[in-house]
Amino acid sequence: MLRSRLAKRLTAVGVGAALAVVGLAVPVAGAAPAQASGKCPVNALKNAKSKPVEITYWQGGFQRANEETLGRLVDKFNSSQNDVHVTVVNQTTYADTLNKFRAGLSSGDLPDLINIEDTGLQQMIDTKAILPAQACVDAEKYDLSDNLKRVVDYYSVKGKLYPMPFNVSNPVLYYNKKAFEAAGLDPNNPPKTLDEVKTAAQKLKDSGQASQAGFGMKLDPWYLEQWSALGGKTYVNNGNGRKSRATATTFDNATGKEIFTFLNDMVKSGLARTNPADGPQAFDNLLGIGNGNFGMTIDTSAALGTIQQVLTSGQYPNVELGVAPMPGPKGKGGVLVGGAANYIVNKSSPEKQAAAWQFAKFLNDPESQAEWSVGTGYVPIRQSASTMPQVQQRWAEIPGFKVAYDQLVGGVTNTATAGPVIGDYQGVRDVVLDSEQQMFNGKSPSSALKQAKQDANAKIEEYNSRVSG
Amino acid sequence: MSTTDTTVDRPEDTGAAVPAPRKRLFSRGVREAGLGYLLLLPAFLIFAVFIFYPFLRNFYLGFFSTPPFPGQPKSYVGLDQYKDVLTSSDFLDSLKITVIFAVITVPVGIALGILLAVLAHQKLRGVGIYRAFFSSTVATSVAVAAVIFGTLLSPQVGLLQGIQTEPSILQNPDPIINVSLPVIRSFIPSVALVAVAVTTIWQNLGLSFILMSAGLQAVPDELEEAAEVDGAGAWTRFWHVTLPLLSPTIFFAFVVGSIFAFQTFAQIDLLTPRGGPLKTTNVLTYFIYDQLQFSKNDGKAAVLAIALFGVTLILTLIQFQFLERRVSYER
Amino acid sequence: MSADTITLKGTELSGKAGTELEAARPGKQGRRLRIFGRYVLLSVLAFIVLFPIYITVVNSLLQPSQIASKSPTFFPTSPQWHTYADAWSDGHLGTYLRNSFIQTGLIVVGQLVTAILAGYAFAFLRFPFKRTLFVVFLATLMVPFEITIVTNLQTINTLGWYDTFAALAVPFLATGFGAFLLRQTFLQLPQDLQDAAKLDGYGHLRFMTRVAVPLARPTIAALAVFSFLSAWNQYLWPLLVTKDDRLRTVQIGLKQLRATNLDQVNVTFAGTVIAFIPLVILLLIFQKQLVRGLTAGAVKA
Repeated sequence: MLRSRLAKRLTAVGVGAALAVVGLAVPVAGAAPAQASGKCPVNALKNAKSKPVEITYWQGGFQRANEETLGRLVDKFNSSQNDVHVTVVNQTTYADTLNKFRAGLSSGDLPDLINIEDTGLQQMIDTKAILPAQACVDAEKYDLSDNLKRVVDYYSVKGKLYPMPFNVSNPVLYYNKKAFEAAGLDPNNPPKTLDEVKTAAQKLKDSGQASQAGFGMKLDPWYLEQWSALGGKTYVNNGNGRKSRATATTFDNATGKEIFTFLNDMVKSGLARTNPADGPQAFDNLLGIGNGNFGMTIDTSAALGTIQQVLTSGQYPNVELGVAPMPGPKGKGGVLVGGAANYIVNKSSPEKQAAAWQFAKFLNDPESQAEWSVGTGYVPIRQSASTMPQVQQRWAEIPGFKVAYDQLVGGVTNTATAGPVIGDYQGVRDVVLDSEQQMFNGKSPSSALKQAKQDANAKIEEYNSRVSG
Repeated sequence: MSTTDTTVDRPEDTGAAVPAPRKRLFSRGVREAGLGYLLLLPAFLIFAVFIFYPFLRNFYLGFFSTPPFPGQPKSYVGLDQYKDVLTSSDFLDSLKITVIFAVITVPVGIALGILLAVLAHQKLRGVGIYRAFFSSTVATSVAVAAVIFGTLLSPQVGLLQGIQTEPSILQNPDPIINVSLPVIRSFIPSVALVAVAVTTIWQNLGLSFILMSAGLQAVPDELEEAAEVDGAGAWTRFWHVTLPLLSPTIFFAFVVGSIFAFQTFAQIDLLTPRGGPLKTTNVLTYFIYDQLQFSKNDGKAAVLAIALFGVTLILTLIQFQFLERRVSYER
Repeated sequence: MSADTITLKGTELSGKAGTELEAARPGKQGRRLRIFGRYVLLSVLAFIVLFPIYITVVNSLLQPSQIASKSPTFFPTSPQWHTYADAWSDGHLGTYLRNSFIQTGLIVVGQLVTAILAGYAFAFLRFPFKRTLFVVFLATLMVPFEITIVTNLQTINTLGWYDTFAALAVPFLATGFGAFLLRQTFLQLPQDLQDAAKLDGYGHLRFMTRVAVPLARPTIAALAVFSFLSAWNQYLWPLLVTKDDRLRTVQIGLKQLRATNLDQVNVTFAGTVIAFIPLVILLLIFQKQLVRGLTAGAVKA
């Protein structure tokens, strides 16, 4: 340790005497106790000196009902045994949770288990600060077969499962049945293809059932990823980044063109109004259904619990909510897994790593998943959870909650539907969004798509050039 | 800049007034300098540890292609990174947007602050209430202002929903005047940026008002009254008496306002995340934040931060060179 | 500014009756009208400035559906007072407000002291490299805060200050803004004041504490308000240097509210109002200082 620190200082000196002084603080990062053996210390918990072993779990980005449900699960876990005690800390949002984790890698302030958004997979691997769940699965011969295969696939790279899956959602179509009926559309047969979305939007607009536009369109590049998978196409190369690190995008194809043309037609003909995916107007597409400005929209199934609460308050008498699978382009595929998952941090002591594994396992087990799904609207990711009475009862009461589960298990299982793994995920999304906006400003769909491909490739390359391995 | 000039020509040091008989180890000048350094020391220590040291490290980081996460090897790229970043169109566009944003917000903010301060400086019954009203926006943070304006401007929840078109104000990458006036087109990047600028001006209005009011308090009433007795009209009085006396405060507001405008970040992030439609609100500080938070590229962010620092420093020195001469200090 | 001219013209044209105000010189009806015009102008401007804040308060008392409704509500007919209780408990505002007060108090006091000392040195003392040092102080305003975070976190850890009030306050105890502001104010003080003080046998410290600081009181009050605001509104740094709820501050609570209450925007608005009430109180106190100004200043030599 000392020697390596010295070596780092010497390298710094090589850069220039003045800069060397400045460089001295760098080695602090390397000073954290590295436990990166890659082995899961499953037995460390038994041998722990004092019990319960205290661990910290970071999360951010849950809606209130979801946070309360999580709190109940944590209490249940803490009181069910005496080996591990979990403290949850809310770090406000998904983005800031990862932000604080990154800062912690320099300062040493780290959790033992952390909930990170779906898109963070490659970056979490690149931190080299996590213990792959696969190591614990192997060490304990833990049976994953009851977990939905689509979910395990999504969080696996090169055949290795990285986080323990926990909260899973995917995008669905939300629509107002009353508006559909009044516009002469069949409220029980919502659009299934992009063409049908266009026709329905036209009817909603013509009949005056949607005062701004038929379709409220959130400009979320997530949908391009989702639609590519629905069309059965990969998004990036090297097996969607799962065989080896992705080096370029693959979305500039017939499906991509179909999607861009659809978006362009909808906006240009006034059949859709757009809203940004971040910031104060991120939920305008949903609000627009509530106040009669739109007749339908696409958004995450994770919002259903919240929407349901709002609707049952009786404030929106003109809305009867319908939920349906996400309409998509031609082709055979399936929606992608969305949401977040739990990563074990390898900087913690062995007993804490083992404790974190126990808790991650608990959140994944069928009873927890059933309770979680009923309390939040997230998809139950255990097959046995989906058959449990409380889940069945919930689905019978509000069939909308079943849609996300059905469309996930109903999808094809292949590389395309496993979903892309990208380092600079946000960078790729940014340039995709930019080229969509350039298209709305006059660029043709095919040149906008080409632009998106070029810029996204540059982003991927830039990130890759900075990582080792 | 005239800092030294203003003090150099003052009469001899006040130390002279201290009872004289005791023998002094050091000369008056040395003692005065010592006291000067001593007074600066507390602030300087804090700056050294928490601003200069971390900032200087950036010069070093700028020579490296840095890994997305700490604790892993970084590779030395020398000046290439400086060259690449500073000549990239992303940087130049961002710099241009930053300058335009400052040009819109700073003068308007100061002018409105003076207007409100002069109006509230009148001897009218109950004017104190208006003072409280005018300074009230300081009670709101940037985050609060963003929530308020985000709501007001929203096409779904706002008061403007009836008149909104596609794209909505905060998403609109077009310049505000959609006619073929190339000058305006090239000057105003987008409606979205104007919306952010308006929010900023509103939120800073309270502070601008307070500063200008404090400045006006320092203007002796007799001067204004004398001018009034002389029969000077309101406008003449304002132009020839009030404004010159207020000039140190205005100068201060201008310099600091420009620096702060170049550091604008939170309202961009809150109102137009990801740098706005077609990156038309991607000011430099947001660009830096984006590199740190999303691309996780510390090396590039370091170069950008140095560039921002350099540009602001040059701008400030120019302001001192050309503007402070026109400031009339009392002596 | 041009306000007087505008009202003057208006007066001549309309010729309406004025208000009951003081100071109307005999036979000068125009003056009364002018005063009335000033009130109108003041009120219009006050309305523009206050409207967004008013809407926030109203929104905090509405049902979420009323906020999103197509016909906006400007007065809450059935105010939802429970939003304040919800915001208070959901956003942990009790603890967070206390922490914010402590952090902010430390920062304000620290900044006032360091800024007065430095501002005085820059305005009244002669020493080598003064110009350079002044630029150095100003330069602190030009370093984007985000870029210093990682290094500062390491420094805080080295000092063993993680999760303490020291970490929350110490990095912000000095301000280039304040030093500059006070320098400007001190430079505006009349030269004869200093001459007079010298004759009375005042040294620098006495002149600073007995003359310069009392006279600069409005500016110092303005600086206090500014320091308070920037400390009060911090979000990212307190999030990074605190471990859990024990030492977290009010803006973190607001962000949590925003993130967890998408279905209840009114609760978010209520939290917003709670977070700016302390600032309103501060402003009212500050108003007194500002109005006292020079007239109440101890020495008007």
